[in-house]
Amino acid sequence: MLPVERIIGEEGLSRSGNALRLAMRLPWYRSLPFSTVEVAGVEIDGAAIDLADARVEYEGHSWSLAELGEQIDAFWFVRDSAFLALPGRSEAVGSEHAVTLLLHVSPPYIPGMKRANRQSATLRVN
Amino acid sequence: MTEPTGPQIGVTLYSFTNEWLSRRFDLDGLMHEVANRGLGPNIEIIGFQNFKEFPDVSDGFAEGFKQLVAQTGLNPVSLAINSDRFLRPGQQPVEDDFLVEYHKRQLRSAKKLGFSLVRYQFALPVHLLADIAPYAEELGVRMGVEVHAPMWAGHPAVLAYREMYDKLDSPVLGWIPDFGGTATRIPPSLLDAARAAGAKESLITLVQQIWPEPVPSHEKAAKLFEHARRDGHEPAHIQAAALAFFILANNDPKSWAEMVDRTIHIHGKFYGVSEDLVEEAVPYDVILPLFRDGGFTGTIVSEWEGHAYCEADAFEQVRRHQAMCRKILAG
Repeated sequence: MLPVERIIGEEGLSRSGNALRLAMRLPWYRSLPFSTVEVAGVEIDGAAIDLADARVEYEGHSWSLAELGEQIDAFWFVRDSAFLALPGRSEAVGSEHAVTLLLHVSPPYIPGMKRANRQSATLRVN
Repeated sequence: MTEPTGPQIGVTLYSFTNEWLSRRFDLDGLMHEVANRGLGPNIEIIGFQNFKEFPDVSDGFAEGFKQLVAQTGLNPVSLAINSDRFLRPGQQPVEDDFLVEYHKRQLRSAKKLGFSLVRYQFALPVHLLADIAPYAEELGVRMGVEVHAPMWAGHPAVLAYREMYDKLDSPVLGWIPDFGGTATRIPPSLLDAARAAGAKESLITLVQQIWPEPVPSHEKAAKLFEHARRDGHEPAHIQAAALAFFILANNDPKSWAEMVDRTIHIHGKFYGVSEDLVEEAVPYDVILPLFRDGGFTGTIVSEWEGHAYCEADAFEQVRRHQAMCRKILAG
């Protein structure tokens, strides 16, 4: 896998209160506004997760996936991880899980281009 | 400082995208590495790749960057800015006023960081140049639109820009050729990467058959997808092979001659330079003399794009590319 194909971040999976937090990397060579990023799906141990209450967290901001599309002036620095918070999850710290993430980007200077990315990894909850 | 009498050599940090994304280097470390290896002193930086505070850098951030420049002895010749008009995917482009201000913000940051030249893109509707160029003139920052594949000297968008350049007659507006638009073949290293990803030889053959056809790149890409799907190739393999249609085109290398007079900076795009200093896809021996003999005295930054499909040693590739350029320019 090339560095630009990586979408599951180095910080992996962690627990924060009743939520799981998954580190995500931006699959492009440059920073992009969050409006051009789409969290298209998450599976944990083979089951698709309902993302209705999921939030993207970055640098003190927190957006629902529905709000993400309006963030045309909030930039995801390409070297940073952003985090996907999944509330109401019971996976215990120390347990291992098969995680699949789908993350799409639409580079804002190339009309109509959408790049689909999918990555799976076995992650231990920190 | 003496005035340059010919093309200068440099590097864009974009060449080190793999090293950057994998966090092997931060900006301080990467600039020191480039300086220590003698790959500068002239450098280009993509604002949205290497500067966390882009598009609006603070005074403190700019000061830190200037100190880094002073420490490393590098010369920041070009800042690549982006003409991001499609910020809401699937919806209308952003309003003209927003896009004009978006460019001005980046121009201000360029000035603050110590760059006197920016790269911008054809995604900027040409009529908005009338609003932006006077601001760049005030700042004393030159603007070069990047002529990137599939574009070339005769492309309709380039002709429309040429007409506007003639009309505005601004001293700050120019071209930045990117040689990927005039490749003679698909880089063998790209095809090898597709093979390594599992693409079958029949798919490789299909890509090579379609790539030189004299039709627009997006039509060639569509044809490849249609035929490859019909033949049962896997989507991931088709995606790997189709990269050739998005980053390269086979326009006439000699056509750059028409653009030399307004060329202010150059992206020396390349994919793989051999130990005996030959680039595998772009005919530098044909292209570089056009700029040298045409009086170009700006900088050619080495732009290795093999990172889009492989993890070869970018530092070594840039070293070879610069050696090749020097050899051809001296010839």
